[in-house]
Amino acid sequence: MEHETASHASGGGFPPFDQIDTFPAQIFWLVVLLGILYFALSSVLLPKLSKAIEDRDDTISANVSEAAAASGRADAAVKELEARVAEARARGRETAARAKSESDARVATESARADAALEARLSSAERRISDLRTAAMSNVSAIAEDAAAAMVEKLAGVAPAPAAVRQSVARVLAASSTEN
Amino acid sequence: MMVSTDPMHQFQISRLLPIQAGGYDLSFTNSALFIAIAVFGIIGFLAFATSNLQTVPGRAQSLAEIWYKFVAGIVHDVNHDDGKPFIPLVFTLFSFILIANLLGMFPYFFTATSHVAVTFTMALFTIGLVVVIGVWKNGFKFLKIFTPSGVPLYILWFVVIIEIFSFLSRPLSLGMRLFANMLAGHVALKIFAGFIPTLAVGLPVIGVFMGGLLVLPLVVGITALECLVAFLQAYVFAILTCVYLNDALHPGH
Repeated sequence: MEHETASHASGGGFPPFDQIDTFPAQIFWLVVLLGILYFALSSVLLPKLSKAIEDRDDTISANVSEAAAASGRADAAVKELEARVAEARARGRETAARAKSESDARVATESARADAALEARLSSAERRISDLRTAAMSNVSAIAEDAAAAMVEKLAGVAPAPAAVRQSVARVLAASSTEN
Repeated sequence: MMVSTDPMHQFQISRLLPIQAGGYDLSFTNSALFIAIAVFGIIGFLAFATSNLQTVPGRAQSLAEIWYKFVAGIVHDVNHDDGKPFIPLVFTLFSFILIANLLGMFPYFFTATSHVAVTFTMALFTIGLVVVIGVWKNGFKFLKIFTPSGVPLYILWFVVIIEIFSFLSRPLSLGMRLFANMLAGHVALKIFAGFIPTLAVGLPVIGVFMGGLLVLPLVVGITALECLVAFLQAYVFAILTCVYLNDALHPGH
């Protein structure tokens, strides 16, 4: 240790402690320089830094609330869109139903008219048939009267009174028609 | 060879610019030079980082903000919202100690924080500030820091004595811790590093391999450890400053 420490300017054994003569200089410059550092930090640098951090926090929270508002607006828009779609769908359904009922009504009137026309033609045809039948039946009674008068004249040799013949033929016809 | 491996030589203070004022030697020493490098390095970096502040920060601004938030976080964790006025003080102490410690890790650089004059000045200033703020804020109630609540009366006198000793030992431990850590770390580093050339000279060929393969990895590891210690000591000093200030603000334990 002797020859090692011999090279020290102070010549002592433990430089951290044996340089007491430099303490005033060390402390003086430490206080001055740390004073400068504290002044620079507290008056200029740290306020700037903390303001930058606060500004960023403000910006972020403002952006977040803005985004939340935008998201709310988007939700409202989606809801409105859905409402409109539902409304349009309801209107479409209503239009379709109206068109269907209109066409149903038209079909009904058309078919009713067609039915009526057919009915009319059917009834006129039936009327003609019954006319023809009554005409045929009156012809039948005339023929039967003639035939009965001829048969009576042939059998009895007496010409029957036309009124009696008509009466009995009518009676027989009515009986046969009730038998039928 | 012996002179270059002397582990104490790095703590030698040399007068770079002799100044005498009022009977005192206020020379600008190598210690003052490295304090000045640390101080103006911090100011220069932060001035650069805050020269063009952006909402989306660049690299320098990011680093400065992390740095600020770290210190503000320590203060807030310990002192909550009362600690806000002390952020610049704690930032000053933390940053100065951190940068001065890290500067000391460079070969041939002087470690200002390895000297008792520097560390005890800071420690005494911190404790002095605690006393001043404590008395200013609380008056006589500041003496409550010596009387923990919930202690029975018959042992209170003893606890008060312990508390007074504990309070008086604070500047001692605060200053001693930083100084001793930096000194011991650098001495250990220098001794182990000096072992390599000693081996190489003392044992030709084998000594070179032993020094290179065994000692050098150890020195690298110690260097890494010292970088951690450099940060840790700054952190500890900052935290303890906050804790002591908290006593000044709320003396009732």
